[in-house]
Amino acid sequence: MDSAPAKRRKIEHKQDGAEKVLESAVRTTGVSRGRAFILEAEELLEEVRIDYKTALEGADGYLHRIKGAVEAVESHDALPLTDAVSKLEKKHKIKVPLPNPQPPKNSNYKVEFSKPAQFNVVGSYVSKTMVKNQKDHSVDMIVVMPKEILQEKDYLDLRYFYKRAYYLTVISTTLQKELGRDGQLSYEYLNGNPLCPVLAFQPEVAKPAENGEKEATGKGRMDYRIRVIPCAPEGLFPKTKLQLGASLIRKREADSDDEPHPTAFYNSTLAAETSFLSYLKLLRQTEKKCAAFKNACLLGRTWLQQRGFGGDISKGGFGHFEWAVMLALLLDSGNKMGHASLSTSLSSTQLFKAQIQFLSVMNFSEKPCVFGPENSDLDDHIESGPIIYDSARQHNLAFKMGAWSAALLHQHAKWTRSVLSDSSVDQFTPTFILRADVPTHTFDLFAHLNYSDVLNDVIGEDFSESRGRIWQLGSKVYRVLKRALVDKELGERARLIHIQTPEQPTWTLTERPKAQKKAALEIGVLFDPNGMARVVDKGPAAGASMEEKEECERFRNFWGDKAELRRFERDTIRETLVWSSTAAFDLCEEIMRYILSLHLRIGQIEGDISFYGNGLSSLLSLKSTDTAVFNAAKKEFSTFERDIRDLEELPLRVRHIAPICPELRHASIKAPVFAPSKSGVQPMDCIISFEASGKWPESLEAIQRTKVAFLLMIGSLLEKSKAGIKTHVGLDDAKYDTENLAFLDIIYESGPSFRLRIHSDLEEVLLERQVKDRTAEQYLRQRATTQLSTFRRLFTNLPLHGQTISTSVTRFPALSPTIRLVKHWFNSHKLACHFTEEFIELVVLHVFLSPYPWDAPSSASTGFMRTLLFLARWDWREEPLIVDVGGEMTPKDRAAIATRLEAWRKIDPSMSHTVLLVATSQEPSGVAWTSADNQAKPSKVVAARMTSLAKSASRLIREEGLVLDPRRLFVPSLKDYDVLIHLNSKALKAATKTYEHVDPAEEQETVTKSKFKNLDVRTGQDPLPLVQHPADIILGQLNAAYAGPLVFFRGDQKDNTIGAIWNPQMQRRTFKVNLPASYKPVAAAGQKKDDDEMDTDGSEDLVDVNKDAILAEIARIGGDLIEKIETK
Amino acid sequence: MPSTQATIGDFSILPISIPPLPSFPKSNVVHYLYVRRNTPKIPTANDSRSLFLTNCPVDSTELHLRSLFSSLVGAGRFESCTFEDEREKKVHQSGSQSNTVSLALTTTANKKRKRGPHDEDDLISEEEEESARLPQTWSRTLHKSGGTAVVLLADEKSVEQVFKAIAKLSKSKKSSSYPQWPSTLSTPLGSVWLKSHNRSSYPDPAALQASIDAFSLVYARREKAAAKRAKRLRNEPDADGFVTVTRGGRNAPASKLEAEEAKRKMLERAAKKREETSTFYQFQLREKKKEEQDELVKRFEEDRKKLEQMRMKRGKFAPEA
Repeated sequence: MDSAPAKRRKIEHKQDGAEKVLESAVRTTGVSRGRAFILEAEELLEEVRIDYKTALEGADGYLHRIKGAVEAVESHDALPLTDAVSKLEKKHKIKVPLPNPQPPKNSNYKVEFSKPAQFNVVGSYVSKTMVKNQKDHSVDMIVVMPKEILQEKDYLDLRYFYKRAYYLTVISTTLQKELGRDGQLSYEYLNGNPLCPVLAFQPEVAKPAENGEKEATGKGRMDYRIRVIPCAPEGLFPKTKLQLGASLIRKREADSDDEPHPTAFYNSTLAAETSFLSYLKLLRQTEKKCAAFKNACLLGRTWLQQRGFGGDISKGGFGHFEWAVMLALLLDSGNKMGHASLSTSLSSTQLFKAQIQFLSVMNFSEKPCVFGPENSDLDDHIESGPIIYDSARQHNLAFKMGAWSAALLHQHAKWTRSVLSDSSVDQFTPTFILRADVPTHTFDLFAHLNYSDVLNDVIGEDFSESRGRIWQLGSKVYRVLKRALVDKELGERARLIHIQTPEQPTWTLTERPKAQKKAALEIGVLFDPNGMARVVDKGPAAGASMEEKEECERFRNFWGDKAELRRFERDTIRETLVWSSTAAFDLCEEIMRYILSLHLRIGQIEGDISFYGNGLSSLLSLKSTDTAVFNAAKKEFSTFERDIRDLEELPLRVRHIAPICPELRHASIKAPVFAPSKSGVQPMDCIISFEASGKWPESLEAIQRTKVAFLLMIGSLLEKSKAGIKTHVGLDDAKYDTENLAFLDIIYESGPSFRLRIHSDLEEVLLERQVKDRTAEQYLRQRATTQLSTFRRLFTNLPLHGQTISTSVTRFPALSPTIRLVKHWFNSHKLACHFTEEFIELVVLHVFLSPYPWDAPSSASTGFMRTLLFLARWDWREEPLIVDVGGEMTPKDRAAIATRLEAWRKIDPSMSHTVLLVATSQEPSGVAWTSADNQAKPSKVVAARMTSLAKSASRLIREEGLVLDPRRLFVPSLKDYDVLIHLNSKALKAATKTYEHVDPAEEQETVTKSKFKNLDVRTGQDPLPLVQHPADIILGQLNAAYAGPLVFFRGDQKDNTIGAIWNPQMQRRTFKVNLPASYKPVAAAGQKKDDDEMDTDGSEDLVDVNKDAILAEIARIGGDLIEKIETK
Repeated sequence: MPSTQATIGDFSILPISIPPLPSFPKSNVVHYLYVRRNTPKIPTANDSRSLFLTNCPVDSTELHLRSLFSSLVGAGRFESCTFEDEREKKVHQSGSQSNTVSLALTTTANKKRKRGPHDEDDLISEEEEESARLPQTWSRTLHKSGGTAVVLLADEKSVEQVFKAIAKLSKSKKSSSYPQWPSTLSTPLGSVWLKSHNRSSYPDPAALQASIDAFSLVYARREKAAAKRAKRLRNEPDADGFVTVTRGGRNAPASKLEAEEAKRKMLERAAKKREETSTFYQFQLREKKKEEQDELVKRFEEDRKKLEQMRMKRGKFAPEA
């Protein structure tokens, strides 16, 4: 392809800003950058291109037949419209699709028919810019009505459209005879425009039985339609009459004195009707002039399609045609200055990028975008809709767009621009491959507006809007909501509001046009995460000046009774709105309900409007107050830190105390609540490190013992220094004396409790030395390596990770709830025990840092959905996950990480040590959170399960859309497990209570003996803290004992069902001394049945996994903790 | 033909019937223990009267095995048993201890670990060793599934008897004659087990302090002994007539930590200097530029290769439908 550096001419385009970015866009697309993007885009083009011969087989033949049939229609002379219509309808049992409002009964419009002036095939069929997976492939043929049967004045009062409808019906009657047997004929609206019905012909696919030989060729054939589009000859209507401000539907206003409404959409439709050919010409010329134009159009088409844009009014009114024409105009030199904005020598990707840049700086809904000479008149019409004005053809290209779709397009272009300018990420996939039109991925809140009841109240019998009353309602709703939520006036609460109008249906020739099927407008709101949670809105100050008074008046008019005067600090008195909700979602709902009912009286009937998108948060009962709870926990931590620092008798000075648990970084599923508890507490992990000192002994064992002594000392000092503190030194379940041996639990009477471990620098040095020591024995070095990584994880990586997450949580308000939701998802699917919490946090953080093709999620639900999407798409076999928090990683760093993954895959192809690689700038090795004790955590099997679960969840999200009950995403499928171990929740709860002076073995007896509570030895004793939750211990023990034969799955501590799967690799095998599990002799198992098998020599030595014996062992281990073991 | 298999490889199969439990009420569950004479690679005196067991139940304890064997060959025959993981632990512990000594002794990283004749000081009694150990947190440990154990019996005759008893078992057709796995022996598992673990994980501070103190005594003694030995080694030539160079000469040597720090600093300085002078001459600049270009070309090739790989996987370039 043409990736040669662009030769640029200096351009002078009057659109300030736009030209600069265009230039820079071109410059940044040199050879060196985005090479991969260029290559990938080429591949994409290959992939989407259609083979027109096979895909649209027979289209040409049909086109010729249509032409022939229409040309053969007999002309007839002028007849009054009503007569002609009723005659036609009676004769052919067909309906004429007259647009609304219907012509008056007494009108004396005349219609006639004569041979079309011209036939022409237009659109992407001729320019060969169709793509494979567009929704429907249509071949458009225009039929230019002859000048003779039209009049110049027909632009008034829909006369032209009545004639057009009649003309179309005559053609339909003929074609029904000609093609009725070859396929389906139906009416539809061109681009959903109710003024322009067109005839669509869908050829029936020839059955393979009829012509068996052709089967092979018919394979690549697509379902296509041929659309017959009547249109007006060029220059029929004087363009000056079709100005955007002109009012061309007058009859309704005849009896009123009002200023006639401008009918911008109607006028533009008329202009479009006459300019089919001139645009066709423009596109053909550009194609010839610029070699890459077609490919750029294909790229644009794909980009628009993945974002749900299309030429149809319900799809935003900006489709492939508009993209192509805009690009052609940018390449066109026919501008005022005689220079084109873009050079024709650019490559297709460069053109694409330039166009994206252009869209991202031009917001058509705020300022008209004009090609050609300046036209200040246009600024006045921007209220009526977005404007992309082509001066040469005097036509507004954006006439089908709503203000909301222009805003969405602008936003998408901005997002794509940010991907394209971020050279460190994969630019291609978010730009072209991902579907960015799934509403639950994009918007934070949705409302369904059921308009069937509202329509008549709000709009009445007003048919002046040619796009229909529903559209009119939509635009009214949009205007109100935009002012309430988006506009600067009240400090933007939302970044985007989108209105989805229902699609126009097709209907058969014998019917009247059908109403839209769905009886609801969909409203999507994209929050501004900072603004949306605001409870009090401060309006204008109530001053004495005229200006201020006016402003207050306007404010009160808009907000009605809700506006009240309040005095704020520094004696300002302001108009104020106070809302009663606290969470972002509820606030938005409250405001929307209030303002819509105030201005449009929507929402007064139950069920008029319903809101979606909050289901996830309520699932976990995430509250807006949770942040405060987390902050309170942090505060408790700083109290604790001060208490330690205040100890004067410590022999070393404290350097820092760092929290390393999720509760202290806003990332635990349950917000930490402190209350004195009857069962054992689970303290929050922290580490303490001291100023460097030479006093540490130079031996690992001695250091560990010294640490224990140190902890004992800190404990007794703390208890002495402050009342209401209890401390316990607990022992870690260490395998070797060189590991960390102990920790100190500090329990405040007020509730909070902390677990402290001591960090000693020397330990790391000694371990490193052991690892490097070539003279040491291999197993010792191996052990030192494992210990070193555990050490680093605990004392280096965890504190840093805590900091990273804490700062990111303040940067992204939606991060904390998203992390909690995703953790809950891992829990519900019994994956949590295989993943570190830090891993999950980093994955979510990645979704926020690299959110392409969107922006960082602004609510928990979008964050959650997109995390699932990421997990579903992440190809961890080949790609490392690189989380670059500070944005400080260089491409070299990234490349190094990718190389590391490649190296791992080479030395460890079975992925037993490394499966997932999650690297950060602080921890470039990438395995700190995805391995434990030299083992991959999760293993390959579990990681694959995660991916497949995320995939099915994402599919469900896409397919079900808004109506999806979010609870369905959290239902585990228990039937996947071979064994289910149900724990006894009561016994587990009892197991969390242990006392210093009560021997558990005798506890049961003493309890039953003593009838009186005051005789119970446990009365008055506080339970000991928990070293580990009993549920975790039991799982850990099972994992250690049955690492070979079983894989266990469980959520968090509250999950009382452990699922297990027999390892498929542990099958029948020959006997050997060191078996990886409990095995039974095969011969013994199949005692009498398989006599013949026993005869064969080999079977004597074969053994099978003794599943029952293993389960019986588990039952013995669990004892009273296990209620039931279920097997498949 | 016997109804059940008696041997597998050179092991005799000892079936054990497992009593049902309310949580897993399946009856007729049989566990298979594989038994043979113990023949370790390094023979010991007791080999003739010990048995090698594999596929021990994960919850076996000495008590379990004792009762099992007494049900087979009568009481009084069973002496002791050692499980696989315990044996490993012993080896490791002794390994790590010798390592401690050697660490203190041979930080100069000489290849062969040399020990002089033991002084009296150097000997640390078993008792002291024991008191320096931290308190146990588990009342009972589990073994790995399919693990092994070595059982020491009273005499060689008992070994014979065990094999005879096993052979007899395999001839009988009913599983009811199999020895039962004792269910109420030893300290219980389940919640009591976990609770006592939690309780003993928080030992009495005084006891803990005592064990730490004992350890520091032992540690100090060992250090002292090591220093003494090092001193002696400094003056004594070994068998080949070489004198080992050890730390602790007239001038106290720099600690290892400081030495490493110094080395790091030196390397840093050198790197900085290299950095500063790398763009001094024109030719250096030119070479650098050329390198960058080569890098660019290389990366381009890499991208192309990656793309090729991606193309292999179908559907990578098709927009999602």
